[in-house]
Amino acid sequence: MRVGVEVGGTFTDLVVVGDGAIKVAKVPSTPLQPDIGVMDALAAADLNLLDIEEMVHGSTVATNAVLERKGGRVGVIVTTGTGDIFALQRHDRTAIYDLHYRKPAPVIARSDICEINERLAADGSIIQALDEARLDRVIGAFLTSAPFDAIAVCLLHGYANPVHERCVSEAIRRYQPDIPVTLSSDVSPEFREYERASTTALAAYVQPVIAGYLSRLTDKLQAAGFKGRFSMMQSNGGRMPASSMAQNAIAALFSGPAAGVIGAMGVAARSGFKNIITLDMGGTSTDVSLISNGRPDLAPQTMIDGLPVRTPVIDIATVGAGGGSIAWADDGDLLRVGPQSAGAFPGPACYGRGGTKPTITDAHLIRGTMRSLSFVGGSIAVDHDAAAAAFAELSVHMEMSVEKLADSAIRVAEGNIVRAVQQVSTERGLDPRDFILVPFGGAGPLHAARVAEDLGIRTILIPLNAGVLSAAGLLMSDYVHYRSKTERLQLHESAIGNVKAILLALRQEAEAYMEEIGITDNLRFEYVLEMRYVGQAFELSVALGGELETLTYSAIFEAFRAAHHRVFEFSKPPQDPAEIVSYRVGIKSHAAKFPELANSDAGANDELDSINLIEGGTSLACKLAKRDQINATGITGALLIEDGTSTVYIPPGWHVLKDQAGNLIAKYHG
Amino acid sequence: MGEQMALSKVDHAIINRALIAATYEMGTKLIRSAHSPIVREAQDCSAAIMNNRGEVVAQAELTAIQLGSIAQTFAPCLKLYPLDEIKAGDFFLNNDPYNGGQHIPDIFLFTPIFFASKLIGFSATVVHHIDLGGGAPGLNPEASDVHQEGLIFPPTRYHLDHDWNGGPLERFIAANVRMPEATIGDLNAQFAANAIGAKRLCTLAEKFGSDGISEAMDEMLDYSERRIRAAIKKLPSGIYHGEAALDDDGIGDEPVFIRTQVTVADEKIQVNFDGTDRQVATNINCPFSSTLAAAVACLKSVLTDPDIPFNDGVARVISIDAPYGSILNPKPPAPVRARLLSSHRVFNSVMKALAQIVPDAVIAEGFDTTTPVCLSYLDDNGYNIYLEILGGGYGAGARNDGCDGVDCPLSNCANIPIEALEMDYPFLRLETYSLRQGSGGAGAQRGGLGFERSYRILSDGVQFATYSDRFKVPAAGLLGGEAGICAETFIDRQGEIIPLASKTGRTLDAGDLLVVRTGGGGGYGPAKNK
Repeated sequence: MRVGVEVGGTFTDLVVVGDGAIKVAKVPSTPLQPDIGVMDALAAADLNLLDIEEMVHGSTVATNAVLERKGGRVGVIVTTGTGDIFALQRHDRTAIYDLHYRKPAPVIARSDICEINERLAADGSIIQALDEARLDRVIGAFLTSAPFDAIAVCLLHGYANPVHERCVSEAIRRYQPDIPVTLSSDVSPEFREYERASTTALAAYVQPVIAGYLSRLTDKLQAAGFKGRFSMMQSNGGRMPASSMAQNAIAALFSGPAAGVIGAMGVAARSGFKNIITLDMGGTSTDVSLISNGRPDLAPQTMIDGLPVRTPVIDIATVGAGGGSIAWADDGDLLRVGPQSAGAFPGPACYGRGGTKPTITDAHLIRGTMRSLSFVGGSIAVDHDAAAAAFAELSVHMEMSVEKLADSAIRVAEGNIVRAVQQVSTERGLDPRDFILVPFGGAGPLHAARVAEDLGIRTILIPLNAGVLSAAGLLMSDYVHYRSKTERLQLHESAIGNVKAILLALRQEAEAYMEEIGITDNLRFEYVLEMRYVGQAFELSVALGGELETLTYSAIFEAFRAAHHRVFEFSKPPQDPAEIVSYRVGIKSHAAKFPELANSDAGANDELDSINLIEGGTSLACKLAKRDQINATGITGALLIEDGTSTVYIPPGWHVLKDQAGNLIAKYHG
Repeated sequence: MGEQMALSKVDHAIINRALIAATYEMGTKLIRSAHSPIVREAQDCSAAIMNNRGEVVAQAELTAIQLGSIAQTFAPCLKLYPLDEIKAGDFFLNNDPYNGGQHIPDIFLFTPIFFASKLIGFSATVVHHIDLGGGAPGLNPEASDVHQEGLIFPPTRYHLDHDWNGGPLERFIAANVRMPEATIGDLNAQFAANAIGAKRLCTLAEKFGSDGISEAMDEMLDYSERRIRAAIKKLPSGIYHGEAALDDDGIGDEPVFIRTQVTVADEKIQVNFDGTDRQVATNINCPFSSTLAAAVACLKSVLTDPDIPFNDGVARVISIDAPYGSILNPKPPAPVRARLLSSHRVFNSVMKALAQIVPDAVIAEGFDTTTPVCLSYLDDNGYNIYLEILGGGYGAGARNDGCDGVDCPLSNCANIPIEALEMDYPFLRLETYSLRQGSGGAGAQRGGLGFERSYRILSDGVQFATYSDRFKVPAAGLLGGEAGICAETFIDRQGEIIPLASKTGRTLDAGDLLVVRTGGGGGYGPAKNK
């Protein structure tokens, strides 16, 4: 038996697979101590922990530690002259007309930063050597200056040569052998000191939280009889044994959204789709991601609460359009939705927990695309009148009926989602029409068809149990580890041997690491170069197909030129030189297969009930169905399908059927 | 609302946001494909989309001074070439300070956008180019006229097929600038960004039709006008005065005054600068486009919600005037390179006038002195020019301390990372980049801190040029707050401290340490209320 447990902001989801069957459970999350929610979910699924061979976990613990500034107390060691690095940041502003601008709050206090005398040059050579005796004194005094939980070290040009950072690490060990030490040259060996320091500090900051959480959870699981393998999702969409995650906590920062993407990729592959755009709509936001040829894109850098994190993350665009997003009119009378959200508490007005602002969930209830029965299978009571009351004031102001306004608010939210999809597709030179849309999360399948129409996408795939897809995605994920290195190299015919040697060395490091943590089966490799034209400063990821041994200069150069043309709409003449800035090798171990799902053919097309909706500006009759009433022949919209964890809306012009893999496939006929 | 519209309110909302998103994409890709650190790291550039009459409808929030004048910079192009004569493949350049441009380095590029053979708009980008010739690499502090500041591209139409990609204009530029690969690379990034804006607008036109787009653009202008009118309506009518001063003109010792009258009446605002000092012999003269952009940026910052799309709808209710021959509307051929110094004093003096009516919305004076540090070196490989823009501390507001160590209100440059700088400029090493503790003016809310950046010079003969201010006249506090600490620049030559003027040039030797300290912002309210 294998179990995936995903801790989200509101719910903790669990998926169990064993003997070809699948079972799900959903319990409220317990944000103060998320491990309690995990144990609750296991109890709700009525599992004997002795039977679990493998458990995969995803959680927002690391994310929340940063958002709530509840990480460990971290001491940071930097090169003399750069002690204000976290206050100075990058010197620009994200809102240029905001006179009261504030920079994102750093996670490190200025008094917890220690400058040491040393200096490297850009090529890694030593300009000023470390004086070891003096270093010892400085470090000794610094370590006793505050009760640090962890230490981060980020020295100038440390990406080019780790020698000084390692000396500092050894000096720390002489005083405090057990304190976790994070080196920038390990976490993010790439140039641009602020981004690297921010990443290193955040890694050290979430370390104690993740380590503590995983150790508590492991103890509880073991006490309850769990003896299986325990692994955890990383931001890059692969998993790692929980024991090694505790050492590399920064990798867990975005594990939640990543699991959903992997789940969507897994279920779509069963239906034969390799090019998909995922759409995960939750309570406060929608996450969108693009998978090309069965491979998610990795972004080399992302932000958390305004702070840069430079570590490979599944490339996800997020917009503030979720079920709890609030509709409002700005002072130019333009209808807007979000980014303010009623959140999990008080939540939408219809939840009757004190919310009075009109939200997207309220709008669905008014419009009829969500019915009281659909809220977690009817287990949450909703108040239709409260939803209507929440829209009343805005309705007067905008001179629209409540029904029409609710419908308009949903369309504005869908416009926001369309732009997020464009961010991951058209902005990267990819045509969304070459992809299918895979919605999940509680509300994704309600909006997918209209979003698809706006983008010219004609096929959507709605996975079984779309509301708990992230938990299923955990069980579909591979073990993944990346190694990277910054070393500028102008691309020439003669440089190809050097390129291969660097990639091979990274591959060997990655293999050694996997062996150390006990993962040696079914290893596959991927090679990515970060490249640019000589003179540019930002790189494009160029994935190398095929084997390392057969790599050629022209294959690399042409792949780069094509990527540049795709993204920037131009490429330079062939004589203009390109350079490689960094190298990344991924190693993947294919996890056990997710079982084929039994295809239930119950139901067939019985007589369906019907309701009236206002949708897309017009009033129309809409059929109602349960998921198992959809068969291989299918039904034409308008149609609402309820499957217990989410509601699917199929508008007129769309036809939906269930395919061999148990997925719902909806196609647009116009 | 209320006019007859073929598009629904939802369509308007969607097009509005989509156009703004397109300008952000233009800006991001411009930065990411550019060559010079001043663009790719410091992000001294801007992007906008205009309607088919040349009015700005959407822009990316990058650099306020550049954004504020895009339509005014384009207008002289349209005057020369009527709309119905514009063809696909045409493009327009303008950097002429006396013909709608700002200062020489900022080249504005405009590209017409056609959908189904119909002109539906223009995409626009502006980039600060690292070197466009002139009397010294990157920045000529000695220029006594605009001709010594670099090549002037008057408003002119060109065509991609015969002028660029190896054509005469590209060859001409490459031959007349000191870092041709960087300059042509940055211009190509502008062309690419404009092409992306065109592509996105055409995609919208496919869905909504060219008439739909034109209607939506009109509504975007009306929408911004409505929002700014709503803000102005809340202000008491009257005439309000403000004044700000520059330390000196770089030659004499006397301060240079900028005087402002802001008139609020009938949901409109008029700003004029009667009483402002005459133009000067040095490069701190401010072309009228820059004066206008600075005044509008201040009004927008103080009076409106940060999220009002800043477009030419705003211009319908705001009018700006400055006496011809004054430092804010100089006669040619006065040099103008350092126009941001005077522009910031425009910003300060308008703010002081507004402080009398909306004291909670304004902030105290900040360092507000865009300070370029230009260090260039010529060796066997040709010129290598480092240019970085330094800010300082922001002024404090009624409820917040001023932001520390950040670029000034009208510019918005990121720093060049030390590690990027040392990779690209082997003749420099950065020794400190730190906040100046205590430099923010005391007050109930403290002014933002200035910072120090110090450069070790590694080769003989490195040319240094800069312009700055607030070496003598500090950022004033507001409503009882204290002034910030002044800026200073000096050379530490083997222990000997050589103080430098705020506006100067100098040759440096290997071993010199160039120390640049920027000033703090003014405090807000009396310190005893802290």
